Amino acid sequence: MNAKPVRVLVVDDSALMRKLIPQILATDNSIEVVGTAIDGNFGLKKIEELKPQVVTLDLEMPGLGGLDTLKEIVRRHRVPVIVVSSHSTSGASVTLKALSLGAFDFVAKPNDVSSRMQEIARELISKIKAAAQSRGIQIYSSADFPTPVAHLKNKGVPPQQPSRIVAIGISTGGPQSLQLMLSQMPGDFPGSIVVVQHMPDGFTDMFARRLDECCALNVKEAQSGDLLLAGRVLICPGNKHLKVKRLPLGDVAILSDDPLVNGHRPSVDVLFKSVAEEFGQRAIGVLMTGMGEDGAQGLGLMKTSGAMTIAQGEQSCVVFGMPKVAIERGFAQRVVELDAMAATLQAQCGRGGAQVARAAGKN
Amino acid sequence: MTQPFDERGKELRDLFFETTQELLQSLNDDSLKLEQAPGDQETIRSIRRTVHTIKGDAAAAGFRELSELAHAIEDALTLESVSDNALLVQLGFTAADTFGGMISAYQVQGELPGTAAVVDLVQKLTSGPKAKDAADKSSRPAATDVQWTEYERLSAESLRAEGKKVLHIVAHIDPLCAMPIAARQLVTNAIASIAQILGARPESGANVEVQRIDLLVATSQSDKLLISRCEIPTVIKKVECLEFGRAMQNQPSMVVNDAAPESTHDQAIDAHPAATPNSKDDGLRSTALGTLLRVDSERIDNVLNLVGELIIGKSMLQQVGQEFGSRFSRDPLRLRFADAMAFQARVLNDLQRSVMKIRMVPVEQLFRRFPRIVRDTAQRCGKEVTLELSGQDTDLDKVLLDAIAEPLAHIVRNAISHGIESPAQRTAAGKPSTGKLVLNAYHQANQLIVEVSDDGCGVDAEKVKLKALKMGVISASDAERMTQQEIVDLVFRPGFSTADEVTEVSGRGVGLDVVREVLHRLKGTVELETNPGAGTKFRLRLPLTLAIIKALLFRIESRLYAIPLNTVAEIARAKECDLHRVDKWEVLQLRGDVLPLMRLGGAPPEDSLHTKKKIFVLVINFGGRKWGLIVDALESEEELVIKALDDQTIATDLVSGASILGDGRVVLIMNLGAVVGRFTTSSRDGLPAGLFHNKTALTAPEVRQ
Repeated sequence: MNAKPVRVLVVDDSALMRKLIPQILATDNSIEVVGTAIDGNFGLKKIEELKPQVVTLDLEMPGLGGLDTLKEIVRRHRVPVIVVSSHSTSGASVTLKALSLGAFDFVAKPNDVSSRMQEIARELISKIKAAAQSRGIQIYSSADFPTPVAHLKNKGVPPQQPSRIVAIGISTGGPQSLQLMLSQMPGDFPGSIVVVQHMPDGFTDMFARRLDECCALNVKEAQSGDLLLAGRVLICPGNKHLKVKRLPLGDVAILSDDPLVNGHRPSVDVLFKSVAEEFGQRAIGVLMTGMGEDGAQGLGLMKTSGAMTIAQGEQSCVVFGMPKVAIERGFAQRVVELDAMAATLQAQCGRGGAQVARAAGKN
Repeated sequence: MTQPFDERGKELRDLFFETTQELLQSLNDDSLKLEQAPGDQETIRSIRRTVHTIKGDAAAAGFRELSELAHAIEDALTLESVSDNALLVQLGFTAADTFGGMISAYQVQGELPGTAAVVDLVQKLTSGPKAKDAADKSSRPAATDVQWTEYERLSAESLRAEGKKVLHIVAHIDPLCAMPIAARQLVTNAIASIAQILGARPESGANVEVQRIDLLVATSQSDKLLISRCEIPTVIKKVECLEFGRAMQNQPSMVVNDAAPESTHDQAIDAHPAATPNSKDDGLRSTALGTLLRVDSERIDNVLNLVGELIIGKSMLQQVGQEFGSRFSRDPLRLRFADAMAFQARVLNDLQRSVMKIRMVPVEQLFRRFPRIVRDTAQRCGKEVTLELSGQDTDLDKVLLDAIAEPLAHIVRNAISHGIESPAQRTAAGKPSTGKLVLNAYHQANQLIVEVSDDGCGVDAEKVKLKALKMGVISASDAERMTQQEIVDLVFRPGFSTADEVTEVSGRGVGLDVVREVLHRLKGTVELETNPGAGTKFRLRLPLTLAIIKALLFRIESRLYAIPLNTVAEIARAKECDLHRVDKWEVLQLRGDVLPLMRLGGAPPEDSLHTKKKIFVLVINFGGRKWGLIVDALESEEELVIKALDDQTIATDLVSGASILGDGRVVLIMNLGAVVGRFTTSSRDGLPAGLFHNKTALTAPEVRQ
């Protein structure tokens, strides 16, 4: 590890949090809290003064609010920001907005602490470290995102069997990257996409809705028994595992409460393993930005079962962790950068959905 | 790993208790503000933010109930609820009170107070569309509660297309059935023999106890047969059977492409626009708060104690210096020693002042509670009152500040319930219908003065006199002789209330006597000035700080005592024969004024030798009047570090503390408030001479000479 500790600034209007967060971070001596600030204005001043490497930011603050503060930090200081967010519907919505504005990642404030404290502590610490090692903030200008595309939605077309099943595993940096990638895909995309994004429950529903708004694809938080359809994206809800199953009338998503895998629920490995078992070579596995190594092993299983396996390239990863492990172990057949991902998937799944679907149906 | 967090738990909770007080205060402030400016979005947002912070903090500190309640309130505080401002304001106040109650309960680990009032308000605010929704739901057939998955619906549709009948069967399990899980299996088996089961709730294999079973089945048999198969006596109480199509109406379409994103999403975001940059003083305030350092007051007290010791050390050195000077007056070292002493004294002075300042907080911290108190009290009494605050930035020792909070609140409630008249009475008396209450704080000499003045009816001295006579507090002859002021001051006597009936508001078992008692304990005083018909003014006087005073040292019967120098107006010389006796009082004629005297030692024998004895009379300003204190000899003027005396050491309130002099002698510091009080109350029963007489209960610690 680096000898020099990561310098962190805590911005939170709650005195309690200004005490608690530094306490949590003090348990790790490779992190040093260099200061705290009570609101955005003060936070910005302290960023200039103290030059922290990472900022933790509360979104609900008086004065200069969290989002405006974030915008300023992103625009002027380019310091990675970890949002410390509350567990509520509005909290989720603001948090996701923050992510799309360039926040590095977020940690959900405990809603019933004591029990989950260590978990949150561990999560916060590892995210801060990842943020410190990341190459600054990945910022996408609005030009990167095609305008919202409600009219492009494939309305009125009866649901179709997908040509192939695309399983995506993604973590830190995921919300922005997924948004960018999925918004580049057409409404008549013939494949069906299942996604495990590491995110706590309470956030995934809002996340799916946001994606649905800006994509031609149909995005939905998965429920047990949901059909894998062409042009549909199912996002695994927080605190559940997602598996897939082939049934006589169609392929479905199955949610389960099985124990954590790799410290995660949802776990990418669980999804990849089940996709490998059910769909074999009809599947495509994509392991994208994120820390840790969840999904690497599953990608290996997919490769063994004949699926196409893709890892996101280092250049475009916010955190080059999971894909790196997969590449190192030789589980990734192709390495694709984010901006080419949508095109790659379209090429793999075919554009003329119906024909491919028939061809794939023989599998 | 668990250990460190558990240890921190307590610290975290303590911090929570401390910080939430501020949050509750701003909740109260904002609710008041909202009452003034109905529907102000910024204020509602601020209230919401505060509740939000409480929610998060409570969760972090592990107080689930509080966090959940705050959560419910936060959800109710949407901008849509603006339509009913009064309800919103009420929710703000009720929430602050309930939170406060819960927090106190957490602190003592007592039983949590009921939250019904808040929950009720939350429901009122959120009722309307949502409540209607719930009502709709309950009136709908039970079968539609179940969400079949897409796949189950797909199966149902395809089987129906094949000509099968698709039914949704609801079997209600008999509540008396001993084994509900087995019941599920029985029903499932019974159906499976004559129909294809497409879906089940709870899902087969799920190990949960339920009251009902939902099955989606496809069959070519009749409904009747299916129902009769399900009706297993003592296990199943009732069976419903619905055609699948009917249930479908209320389910989201399976064609997901059409599923429009729910509109609530946008609203959720819009309800939360980033707060606009705040006003200037808010910015200043946050800066001030940002640099705040939370320090345990005990640590400051430690430093203060050490500074006290240093000052004692200084006087010791000074004494040695003087002795040295007188012995070796020619020694050049003497001057250098004196220089060093002077330098040390100056630094010590600064040090003392800086340490004192740490303990000081602006009176604002106390005053900000009053808008709410005034509002609530006025509302309950049906009065109209405006509150004016001034001098909020006057500093006071935090301990004193906390200590006078209750007495001050009592005086304020008293002023509203008894002082200020009802709007009708006021109009009749030619005053504006809205009464005015002023809280003012300022420094005077070494004291902090807090004034509470109202423009109400004032204290009716006649009424007080009658009441006092009736209660036997004073005798008829006393009543004759007493001045107006003395009569008015009777309201400070225990158990005295001029109100015709005890009201809920001010009659909380606390009388003005308690107020006076608290003030005396703090070495302060309370005075009352009244102008019948025009208003009343209470004046609380507090020493700025308790720890170090400039004092005048004197002797009574060879014992050493001290009083704060700032109470001494002048020192007069007299002989015993100059003293006169008026009634039961000893008095001294001083430049045309008659000064009542307090003799703390024993009365001298009445022989001629003694009448020539020279004495000193300290003229003391106390409680707005002048008193003479007879002392035998003056000793010196010193800076004293007050050491509190515990009850075991000394069992009287006549002494407020002790101090150690540079030469090691012990001096007792007189509590003038109590001494004057004792004199005025007992003077009617005869001279209280000998209060500090050698033989009385008061025994000074051994004096080392």
